[in-house]
Amino acid sequence: MYRKQVRRRRAVLTLLILGSFLLLTLTYGQSSGGLQSGVSTLFSPLQSVTDRALKPARDAISWFDETFEARGENSRLRDELVAVRRQAVAGQEALQENAQLRKLVELDGGPALAESAYDPVAARVISRSPTVWNSTVTVDAGSGDGVAVDDPVIGGDGLVGQVASVQGGSAQVKLITDHASAVSAKVLPGGVQGVIRPDVGNPDDLILDFIDSTRDVHRGQAVVTSGWRAQGLASLFPPGLPVGEVTSAPIVEQEASQQVHLRPYADMANLDLLQVLTGGSRG
Amino acid sequence: MIVTPQIFARLVAIAVLAVLLQLSFFSRVELLHTSADVLPAVVVSLGLLGGSLSGAVAGFSIGFLVDCLLVAPLGSSSLVLLGAGYLAGLFRERFEIHSALVPPLVCMALTLFAELGFAAVQLTLGVDAPVSPLIVRDMLLKSIYAFFLAWPIYFGLRRALRPALVEESRVTRRRQPTVLGA
Repeated sequence: MYRKQVRRRRAVLTLLILGSFLLLTLTYGQSSGGLQSGVSTLFSPLQSVTDRALKPARDAISWFDETFEARGENSRLRDELVAVRRQAVAGQEALQENAQLRKLVELDGGPALAESAYDPVAARVISRSPTVWNSTVTVDAGSGDGVAVDDPVIGGDGLVGQVASVQGGSAQVKLITDHASAVSAKVLPGGVQGVIRPDVGNPDDLILDFIDSTRDVHRGQAVVTSGWRAQGLASLFPPGLPVGEVTSAPIVEQEASQQVHLRPYADMANLDLLQVLTGGSRG
Repeated sequence: MIVTPQIFARLVAIAVLAVLLQLSFFSRVELLHTSADVLPAVVVSLGLLGGSLSGAVAGFSIGFLVDCLLVAPLGSSSLVLLGAGYLAGLFRERFEIHSALVPPLVCMALTLFAELGFAAVQLTLGVDAPVSPLIVRDMLLKSIYAFFLAWPIYFGLRRALRPALVEESRVTRRRQPTVLGA
């Protein structure tokens, strides 16, 4: 009797392990289409209700965490304020100069801002992946709202990610901190171009790889999407979307390429309301 | 564990509730830059209460649901969580749980196992980006959180599944009848 039980237990365990490997083999690199989409569609109203019901509790815990961190952040912000004041003065000068230049080249609408070609759809984050390996969030806007795969997603502060998969009323957004994410970007001013990749496990850090090691990049410089277009191919992200700020730029001589670290503008830990940029032409 | 249709319904409800709470609440609340992962703790608790088979099946099912909802490669979470559930069940079958500290400690250890498992699966499937050493801190903090969350999870699940638990029903049967006035 006991042996029979043990045999049955082993058989079920083997079946489950084989089932897992089979599922992995069949679905790796592609979604299982109908099944995942169906389950996700079925659960998205439940997730939405759970998200709204638990928001007060989430906010209360976040308040404690943020208060704890605010003490350390206060001194850093004071230092930043001094630097930003200097930049603001410089920015005013640049704005005046920019207005004069626009008049000169008769670009009355200004360089078409990338966002203007898109139709932004507001979406609320209803769930988030539990591991840092897959940095994805689910939002409550889907194909019914015009959302499509690869649409860029932005938050109030900057680029957040892109739509990875979409269902009728919900969509999964791959964050820029996901290990499979890569965003073409440039440093302002200067225009050094490169590809932003995540530092898996550290959502406050992104890495910009660029080829041109002769160009200097300094701490505090802004990084925006470059939105290239060449030979019928185009970047998935429109140009000019703010991504982050350079935090460290180690000078490595005798290297053909360089890496700089940046802090994303968007607070990846507290994503709530986002905008999906639907429609529009890429790049 | 004696699985009647009623208990099966309860187990399904527990799995769905755990996944919804994880994705909509625990994953979105960070303490010290790390969010808690209660799913390994739920699977381990079910393994400790129901044995290795229950633990493995619960782990596979919960992992499958998570992968479906996140539109992640199916099977990755199932594989890791079924391992955690099976080991918890084996622990229960080999050792007696004498102290109330044991379930949280097992949850903590097996959450660390699950986090290492997630990392191993992901690295095997291929990671296209550099990996920060901070990921180790994330794993350790997740297992510490699991220690504290295991108390309500384990004892809550034991209460919810009491009619199905073999040991619990034995204890109930052994209890002497109370004689009024004695």
